[in-house]
Amino acid sequence: MQEPVFSYIPGKSFLHTLDPRTKLTAVMLLGILAFRTESFFGIGILFAFFVALTSFSGLPARVFLRAVRPMVLFIIFIFLAQLFFTEGKVLTSFWILHPSLEGLQNGFRLSARFILLLLFAALMTASTDPSAITCGIERMLRPLPLRWLGVNSFELATMMNLSIAFLPLLFERVERTKAAQASRGMYFGKNPFHSVPALAIPLIRGVIRDAEELALAMESRGYQGTRRTSMHELLMQRRDWISLLALVLFAALLLRF
Amino acid sequence: MIRLENVSYSYPDGTPALRNINMGIKKGEYIGIIGKNGSGKSTLALHLNGLLRPQKGKVMVRGMNTGDFSKLQVIRKIVGIVFQNPETQFVGRTVEEDLAFGPENLCLPPLEIRRRIDRALAEIELEKYRYHSPKALSGGQGQCVALAGVLAMEPECLVFDEVTSMLDPESGKNVLERVKRLHEKGKTVVHITHNLEELHAADRIIVIDRGRILLEGKPENVLSDPSLLDLGLTPPSLIELAEHLKKHGVVIPWDKTSSPSSFAEEICRLFLKT
Repeated sequence: MQEPVFSYIPGKSFLHTLDPRTKLTAVMLLGILAFRTESFFGIGILFAFFVALTSFSGLPARVFLRAVRPMVLFIIFIFLAQLFFTEGKVLTSFWILHPSLEGLQNGFRLSARFILLLLFAALMTASTDPSAITCGIERMLRPLPLRWLGVNSFELATMMNLSIAFLPLLFERVERTKAAQASRGMYFGKNPFHSVPALAIPLIRGVIRDAEELALAMESRGYQGTRRTSMHELLMQRRDWISLLALVLFAALLLRF
Repeated sequence: MIRLENVSYSYPDGTPALRNINMGIKKGEYIGIIGKNGSGKSTLALHLNGLLRPQKGKVMVRGMNTGDFSKLQVIRKIVGIVFQNPETQFVGRTVEEDLAFGPENLCLPPLEIRRRIDRALAEIELEKYRYHSPKALSGGQGQCVALAGVLAMEPECLVFDEVTSMLDPESGKNVLERVKRLHEKGKTVVHITHNLEELHAADRIIVIDRGRILLEGKPENVLSDPSLLDLGLTPPSLIELAEHLKKHGVVIPWDKTSSPSSFAEEICRLFLKT
């Protein structure tokens, strides 16, 4: 069964054995780094760094293609917007469009940054069990005073876990509703928006009913939205601290250039 | 271990679901509760571990009132419910994660959680599906995983609320076999169903209609009671057959009507030897 969001691929590489918190921090750090690096040289180094990590992890390339593909249109849009709307030395002109050299550079830089962000995030999700990620997020959020927002870190983690677990079920339900409507003579024309009301209403009704049953089952199994433990043992080990230290050094060096 | 005293409950729209229910469940007992759709039997199930609280009367679980919020966690550790639809009982992305949910709520340490997952998986014999998505399993296997999810909390009493109604007959039988085995291992079982065929192993059967207890007694008395027909419940076919034979003067003893083979043996014994 294809999982639409998370593409965890079990393995035993160095990346797989790191604590999820290390990897979350690393992705954040690398994200900041990608957006702070101005030179093409720096961006090139980040790409090289990504390639190095990937070869470490033993993950197949399709994981990363799948992570970038849905965002391709967005990236192209950013690129074009930068290309045409940046003031600078005009390269050529057609009609009202004046692509500039600076625009071209900005466009490349920005799209490369987004791609880097997606790739590093994909590297994390592919090498970490989703429930370990949520467990890691929960642990990192625990000291924050989320009470002011009316939630706690345990609730957030459970919510994330449930969304991950239920997405496939949701897609399945869409298919089932579609089939049910089609068998009653509903015509799904070329225009995809045409069928939205006929699909959405039974879908939402079904989902709400499922959610009620689920809530009962969860409560019956002792869920209270308060403190709970996890079957994942999170332990920052020496290799976690060393990796983070190395990454910080790497970041400092890169920002110097 | 569970006592219901004058329990009444109406749904928010005013329809009464339970009216003045009094019953007790003893430790190690196997109780069957039957009634047709809308009789209030599922509402009754939800009262057994405090998912619903009675509007009148009270439900006591080992001396603890389900209306007492501070006791709810303990009560839910004692009484676990397996529901009808396996799909809406899964909270985990994999079988293992799903089984961990209950013990995690009990705030057990990771090692103990894993031990309980091992034990619960061994009980349902689905170890090889540990890292599979529970949604990829068949209905019968799914229901077994739901059962294991409750077993991982190690409750003393298991409530089964129409667990077979969404399964094919063969997997239904398989699930019932497990219910019986768990009872033999000492678990208290409350088995709610509208299918009388399922209740042979019960120690006691309670018939519910329109929120009231209509009949209560041993299976041999309840299952052959003619008033069941008026409720739209069909008695098990072998018992029906035995009743018809009785009218013709052929008496098959009760314990022989539980399986087709013992029934056949009894008929052969009666007819081939005379």
